[in-house]
Amino acid sequence: MKTVHHDRKRIAAPLMILVGPLLIAGQLMVSHTELAAQSSLRPPEGLRDKPVPRVALVNLRLVVAPGQVIEKGTLLINGRYIEAVGADVPVPADATRIDMNGKTAYPGLIDAYSEAAFSWNNDQGAPYWNAEIRPQLSVASLYQTDAATDEARRRQGITVRLLAPQGGIFKGRSALVTTAGHAADRAILKPDVALHVRLTIPFGRPDRSYPNSPMGAVALARQAMYDARWYELASQHRGFSGDQAPETNDALNALLPYLHQEGLVVIDAPNELFCLRAAKFAAEFQLRYLLRGSGNEYRRLEAIRALGVPILVPIDFPSPPNVTTPEAALSTTLEQMLHWDLAPENPARLVAAGVPIALTTDGLRSLKDFWSAVRKAVRRGLDADEALRALTLRPAELFGVSDRLGTLAAGKYAHLVIADGDLFKSDAKVLETWIDGERFRFDTPPPIDPRGRWLVRAKSQRKLDGSLWAISGTLERLAGEIRLPAAAEGENETVVKLDRVGMQDERLGATFPAAAFGYDGTARLSVLLEQAADKPARWTGFVEWPDGSRTPVEAQRQEAAAETPAQPAQDTTKSEAPQRALFEVNYPLGAYGHREPPEQPERLLFTGATIWTCGPEGILKNASLLIGEGRILAVGRHIPVPPGAVVIDLQGKHITPGIIDCHSHMATDGGVNESGQAVTAEVRIEDFLDCDDISIYRQLAGGVTAANILHGSANPIGGQNQVIKLRWGALPEELKFREAPPGIKFALGENVKRSNSPTPSTRYPQSRMGVEQIIRDTFQAAREYRQKWQQWLQNPAGPPPRRDLELDAIAEVLEGKRWVHCHSYRQDEIVAFLRVLEDFQVTVGTLQHILEGYKVADVLARHGATASAFADWWAYKFEVYDAIPYNGALMHRAGVVVSFNSDDRELARHLNHEAAKAIKYGGVSPEEALKFVTLNPARQLRIDQWVGSLEPGKHADFVIWSGPPLSTLSRCEQTWIDGRKYFDREEDRLMQQEVQRMRNALIQKILQSGETPRSESGTPRDDSHLWPRDDEFCAFHADE
Amino acid sequence: MLSDNAMSVIKQFRCFLRALLVRPWHAVTVCESFLVVRRTRGKSWQRAIQWLAVLMGLGVACGFSALQAAHPEIPGAPQRGPIALIGATVHPVSGPPIENGVVLFDSGKIVQVGSDVEIPPEAERIELPNRHIYPGLFDAYSQLGLVEIDAIRATRDTTETGALNPNVRAQVAVNPDSELIPVTRSNGVLLGLVAPTGGRISGQSAVMQWDGWTYEEMTLKAPAGLHIDWPRVPPVLGRDTATATNPLAELEELFRRAKAYRDARRAGWPLVDARLEALLPVLEGSVPIMVMADDGQQIQSAVGFRDRHQLRMVLFGGYDAPLCAELLRERNIPVVVTGIYRLPLRRDDPYDAPYTLPERLRRAGLRFCIAGVERFGASNVRNLPYHAATAAAYGLPRDEALRAITLYPAQIFEVADRVGSLEPGKDATLIVTTGDVLETPTHVVLAFIQGRRVELNDRHKRLYRKYRAKYEEQP
Repeated sequence: MKTVHHDRKRIAAPLMILVGPLLIAGQLMVSHTELAAQSSLRPPEGLRDKPVPRVALVNLRLVVAPGQVIEKGTLLINGRYIEAVGADVPVPADATRIDMNGKTAYPGLIDAYSEAAFSWNNDQGAPYWNAEIRPQLSVASLYQTDAATDEARRRQGITVRLLAPQGGIFKGRSALVTTAGHAADRAILKPDVALHVRLTIPFGRPDRSYPNSPMGAVALARQAMYDARWYELASQHRGFSGDQAPETNDALNALLPYLHQEGLVVIDAPNELFCLRAAKFAAEFQLRYLLRGSGNEYRRLEAIRALGVPILVPIDFPSPPNVTTPEAALSTTLEQMLHWDLAPENPARLVAAGVPIALTTDGLRSLKDFWSAVRKAVRRGLDADEALRALTLRPAELFGVSDRLGTLAAGKYAHLVIADGDLFKSDAKVLETWIDGERFRFDTPPPIDPRGRWLVRAKSQRKLDGSLWAISGTLERLAGEIRLPAAAEGENETVVKLDRVGMQDERLGATFPAAAFGYDGTARLSVLLEQAADKPARWTGFVEWPDGSRTPVEAQRQEAAAETPAQPAQDTTKSEAPQRALFEVNYPLGAYGHREPPEQPERLLFTGATIWTCGPEGILKNASLLIGEGRILAVGRHIPVPPGAVVIDLQGKHITPGIIDCHSHMATDGGVNESGQAVTAEVRIEDFLDCDDISIYRQLAGGVTAANILHGSANPIGGQNQVIKLRWGALPEELKFREAPPGIKFALGENVKRSNSPTPSTRYPQSRMGVEQIIRDTFQAAREYRQKWQQWLQNPAGPPPRRDLELDAIAEVLEGKRWVHCHSYRQDEIVAFLRVLEDFQVTVGTLQHILEGYKVADVLARHGATASAFADWWAYKFEVYDAIPYNGALMHRAGVVVSFNSDDRELARHLNHEAAKAIKYGGVSPEEALKFVTLNPARQLRIDQWVGSLEPGKHADFVIWSGPPLSTLSRCEQTWIDGRKYFDREEDRLMQQEVQRMRNALIQKILQSGETPRSESGTPRDDSHLWPRDDEFCAFHADE
Repeated sequence: MLSDNAMSVIKQFRCFLRALLVRPWHAVTVCESFLVVRRTRGKSWQRAIQWLAVLMGLGVACGFSALQAAHPEIPGAPQRGPIALIGATVHPVSGPPIENGVVLFDSGKIVQVGSDVEIPPEAERIELPNRHIYPGLFDAYSQLGLVEIDAIRATRDTTETGALNPNVRAQVAVNPDSELIPVTRSNGVLLGLVAPTGGRISGQSAVMQWDGWTYEEMTLKAPAGLHIDWPRVPPVLGRDTATATNPLAELEELFRRAKAYRDARRAGWPLVDARLEALLPVLEGSVPIMVMADDGQQIQSAVGFRDRHQLRMVLFGGYDAPLCAELLRERNIPVVVTGIYRLPLRRDDPYDAPYTLPERLRRAGLRFCIAGVERFGASNVRNLPYHAATAAAYGLPRDEALRAITLYPAQIFEVADRVGSLEPGKDATLIVTTGDVLETPTHVVLAFIQGRRVELNDRHKRLYRKYRAKYEEQP
C-alpha cells in the first residue's frame, strides 16, 4: 500500500513554482487545517466559558488499536487531545474523574465514505467546457452542517466521516469532517482529502447532452486529464505566439496535483468490473488512487486483489429477493440469490485476500442498521480486529490523518466510542461518543428506574388504597397495570391497564380508565419518585379523576423489575451457528457460470466428421481435425493419431469454423450509443466490455466464437469498436480478440439524421448532404491535426499541440491503422461515402447493413469495400424498403466479400440459418454460403490470418453440429475457442440441473432466514444493467 | 391423335401464351414452368415448343419487369376447371406423406388426394416429379397488411389509440396491395391471423388468405378473436399489498359494464355502445379472447378471468404455459407460440427454452401451434417454416412441426373445415415446393389459394432481376 501524505505545503511548493500565479485557490486550502486546529476566531459574546480541560476516564476497558487491549485502564483527555492512555496513568488532581467501570472504549470510528449533493454552477469562474468536469468543487468551501446526520452517526460511534460531493464525472474534492454538529470552522478536520471520479453517468438522466453514455463519460474524463497535462505544459509557454496558448481554466488547474500523484483520487467502482476499469484509467495517468467499492468485489476477487489498491467497502448487504411464491421466485435470478448469500462475506474475503479495506456507511438505508451490518460481516468471517481497523486506523492512514486519528494514543485527537460491551461480537450499545474532547452521551436513563411493583396508599379512595401498580416495559416505552384486590371473598381481583405511562427526570405520569373506581372517563396520575439510600423507592403525588377531584397517593416499591440495563450484552458470534455461503463463487456469478476456465487439452483429435474447412480444402467427408495448445495442427482425411492424443469420434457430425458475428452490440454496458455529439470518435466500446452478459453464453450455444462489438448508429462518426472472442467467464480484457486491428463505427442515413426520432432534432446533419459534409470536414480536420503534430515534432518550439482523442482516432483512420465500419443503406449515400474516403486515400473496413449494396456492387468491388449485411431484413424503415434477400448473392457474385451479421442478441443465436438464405436467395453454393458467417467476416475484420477457416496454424475456434450446419434442423452441440470447450450441449444439461439444485437450496435458505424482501428504493449504486445492449437508434419509430 | 402427353403440352403452351399476354412479367411462373417442362417426356418438337414458350416468357418478363410500379402482382383468377397435381410427394399433414401422389382439385375445393386418383380427362395435369405438395402455410400471429414500413407512422395501422378497443377489426385495415404480402406468399405462407396491437384490449383479429382484390375477398374468418394484452400481475406474497392497485380493474370494469349492457339491451335498451356491443359475442362465447401472456402469473390470472366470466380463450405467447399445463389442459385452452426465434425470458432459463417450448407443450398434452413472430411484425412472416424447423431441431417431431404451421392453427382458429390439411372438401389452398418446406434452400414453385393460382412474383424478385440485369449487361 502506498503511504498517504497529507502535508498540503509540501504539495503546494513545487506547484507554486510551476504555475504560481494560478494557484491562489491552493493557498487558501492550506490554511484550512490550521483554522480547524484553533478554536473559533469569533470574539466571545458576553462572558467567557472556561471548562476544566482535563477529564480522566477510569476503570475502562481500552481497545487502543486493533488487537491492543488494556483490560482496565485510564484515558486522560486534555481539551481536544488525548494526554495519556494506559493501565497505570495517574489521574491529575485537576482532572474530572469519571468512573467507567464495565465499559469499553474504542477509537472514534471513521466513516470512510459519505456523500451529499452540492449545487454546482458551471458558469462560475473559468470552468471546463463540460459541467461534468468540476474538480474545482471543494466540499470544504461549501460545507454546511447537517445536524440530523451528524447526530445519527454519533449514535453509532462515528466521529469523523469523509464527505464527498455527488454528481459529475470529476465530482470535486472531499473533506474529512467531524460529526460533532459544528459549523465548517470546527467541523472540517482536513479539506480536499481526495478528488472523486465516477467513470460513468447515471442511466436515464433527462439531460441528453454529451456525454450521455458511460463510454462517453470515460472519454471525457480521459480528454480532461490530457487537457490538464497540456494545460500545464502550455502554461509554461505563456506569451508564446500562436494559437496554442491556453485559456485560464480553474478545472484543469485543480487537476494538476493529481497528475503529479500529489493528491489522492477516489474512483467509484459501482460494480466489480468498474474496479478494473478504474485501475486502467488510473494507470493511464499514473494516479494515486483508492476505489469506492460496491460490495460485489468478491465476484472477481483475484483480479481485484492483483490491483493492489485499497477499497472503501460498503456494508449495505442485500435483503433477499422475493421467493415467497414459486412464481415470484421464477423472476429471481440465481445471481441475486447468490449475492444475498455471499455479499456479507465480501469484507472478510477482501481482508483474507490481503486487500486493505475501510468500511463505510455508503448505501445503508438507515444509519441505525450500521452495527447490525458490521456484526453480520464479523459473523460471516471478518476478524473483529480487522473490522475495527477498517473503521479506524485504515481510513486514518488512507486519508493521511493517522497522526491525529485512528487509535487511542497520547497526542491524538480525543475521538472515542464508549460501549457497554464488545461492539463487534455482541449486541453492546454505544453509550457515548467523544469528538475532539467533546462528550456526547446517549445512555441517559432516568435517575430512578420506575419499573417494578408499587403498593399504593390512598386514604381517601378505598378502591385505590392497597392497589398494586406494576410498571413494566422498556425505559423508552413504559407500560403498566393496576391490580385491585378483591373486594370480597370469592371475587376476582380487578386489573386495570394503564393507557399511557411516561417518565421525565423524577416525574412519572400515567392515564387509566376510571370506570373501576366509579367514574366515567379517564383518570390521570402525577407523582414524583424518590430513591433514598438503603430504602425502598417511593412516590408521592395524586390522581385526578374525570370530575376534576384529586386523591393524594403515595406508594412504595415492593420489588424492582429485573435489572435489565445492567444485563451483559449478548454475544452475537456464538448465539448463531457460524454461517457460510452455500456455494462458491462462479464466473460470471449465477447460472451457467464456470468455477474454472475450460481446460485446454494438449492434443485432441476429432475423427469421422464432415469438416467444412472454409479453406482451400473445401468440405472433407469422414475427416479429422487435430488441435493442440489452442491451435489447429492438422485437418484432413488421414491424420495419424499423435502420441498422447485424446481421440473423439464424431461420426455423422459436422465441424465448421466458429461463427463470427460482424455486427453485434452485446457484452457491453457502455450504452452502445454516445449520441451527445455528431462526432464521437473518442468513445471506446473497449472501456465497457461486460463479460457477464448472458448473451455471450447463449450465442456460444449458437456456434458464435467471435463478435465485432460496435458502437451504435446515432452519429455520422460514432465510437471505436472492439472485436471479442466469446470467452465466457473471462474478464473484460480477456474477452478482447488481441490480434484484431482497431476500428471505428461510422453511420449514414436516417439514424444519424434522426429521421425517425420521436422529438424533432436540429442537430447537424439533417440530410444526407450534411452527413457527407460532416465526415469530409472531420477528415480534413484530422489531416490538419496530423500536420500540426508533425510540424511540432520536427520543431518542438513552444507548447505541443493539444492532444485531441477524437482527432487521434480519425488520424489513425487516415494512416490506415484503424478500420471504418460504416452503417449504410442507400446506394447514393454508399457511393458518396466511398468517394469521401477515396479523396482521403482511405479504404473502408466494412460497409455494415449495406442493404442496397446490390445496386452498386460494382462500385463496392472497385473500392475494395466489403459488405456485412442482414440476410433478409427489410421494410422496417424507409431506407430499407428496397432491401432484398438477394443482396448478399448479388454482391458476392460481383466479387465483394460478403458476410451476414445479426445486430441482434437473438438473431446471433442462429447465424447458420441466416447463411443458408444465401443459398435460397441467389443460389450461392452451401460452401460459400457458410463463409458468409465464418471466413468472410474474418476477412472483413482483418482477423482471417487467425480465424475464419479450419487450417493448420489458425486458432482452434470451431463448432460441432449435429448435422449439416446450414440446416434449420441441425443443432450446435459444442463450441470451442482457443482449443477450449466453452459450450457443450451435454454439459449444459448438467448445468441446468445444477442451477435448479442451487436455486432450490438458496430459496430454502432465504425462506428460513426470516429476512423479508425489500424493494429497492432510491438510486441504485449500479445501474449498468439498465444500459441497452442493442442499437436503440437502429429501428425505433415515432411512438416509442 | 395426339397422345395425352402431347395434349397436355399443347395445353400448357396455350396456357403460357395466355399468361404471357395477361401477365408478361410472370417470370417466376415461367421459370417454374421450365422446371415442369424439363421433366415432361415427349418428342423433340414438343419440347421445342415448350422451350420457345419459356424463352419468350423470359424475354418478355425481363423487358417488362423494370417498368413495373409497386404491387403489380395480379390476384389469381377463379379456378376454371379441374387441376391435377401429379407425381409429387404429397404431405396431407392430416395423414402420412404419399410418395408419387396426386392432388386433384376443382372449383376451389380438393376433390381427391392419394396415390391412386382417377384424373378426369378435362383436368389440367401438372406433372411434378421430385416436388412436394403441402397445405398452404398458416401463420398464427402477425400484423401483415396493417403495416408497410414500421418506422413510418403513415404506413402503420396496427394500433388504435387508448387502452380499450374491443370494437376495432383488423381485416378492414389490411392493405391488399402491400408489398409485404407477395413476399410472404413467395415462401409458401398463404394464410395468417392478423391481429391489432397495443393498449390493453387491442381489437379483433381475422384469418386472412394472402391473395385477393379486396380485404373482403381475402378474409377467411372474422372475427377470429378478441386480443387482450394481459397486464403484469404481482406475486401473491412478498409484496406491499397496501400500495398495490389491481391491474385487472380496467378489464373487470369493462366486462361488468358489458354484462349490464347485454342485459339492458335484452330488456329493450335502445342505444348502441360500440365498445360494449363488440363484447357481446365474447360474452356469448362465440368469439374467444386471445390473451397475450408469457409469465405464469399472468396466465393463471387470465385463466381465472376466463372462468369467472365463462369465456373461451386462446393463449398467445405462453412461455410459462408448461408450468400451467393442468389449468390449460383441463379447459382445453390452446397455446399459440409466438415465435421460436425468441430469447429466453429470464436470465437463468435454458438457452433453448424458446426452441423447446412446443415440444414441452406437446408432452404436456396441450394443443398448440407456432407463429412466425419477428421483431418488425410483418416483413419477415415468410420465415415461419424456419421457426417450426428450429422447434423440430430441438425435439418436436417433424410431422408435428409441420402441423404446427398448417393444421393446428386452422384448428385453433376454427377454420380447419376450410384449410390446414390436404383433404377432400377443403379449400385447394396449397403449395408445391422443391424440397422439405422446413429447410431454407427449398423454393416454392406453385401456389393455389382456393384453387386460384397465386402469383409468386414479388418486390424482391423484381429488384433482383433488375439489378442482375445491370451486372449481366456490364462487360
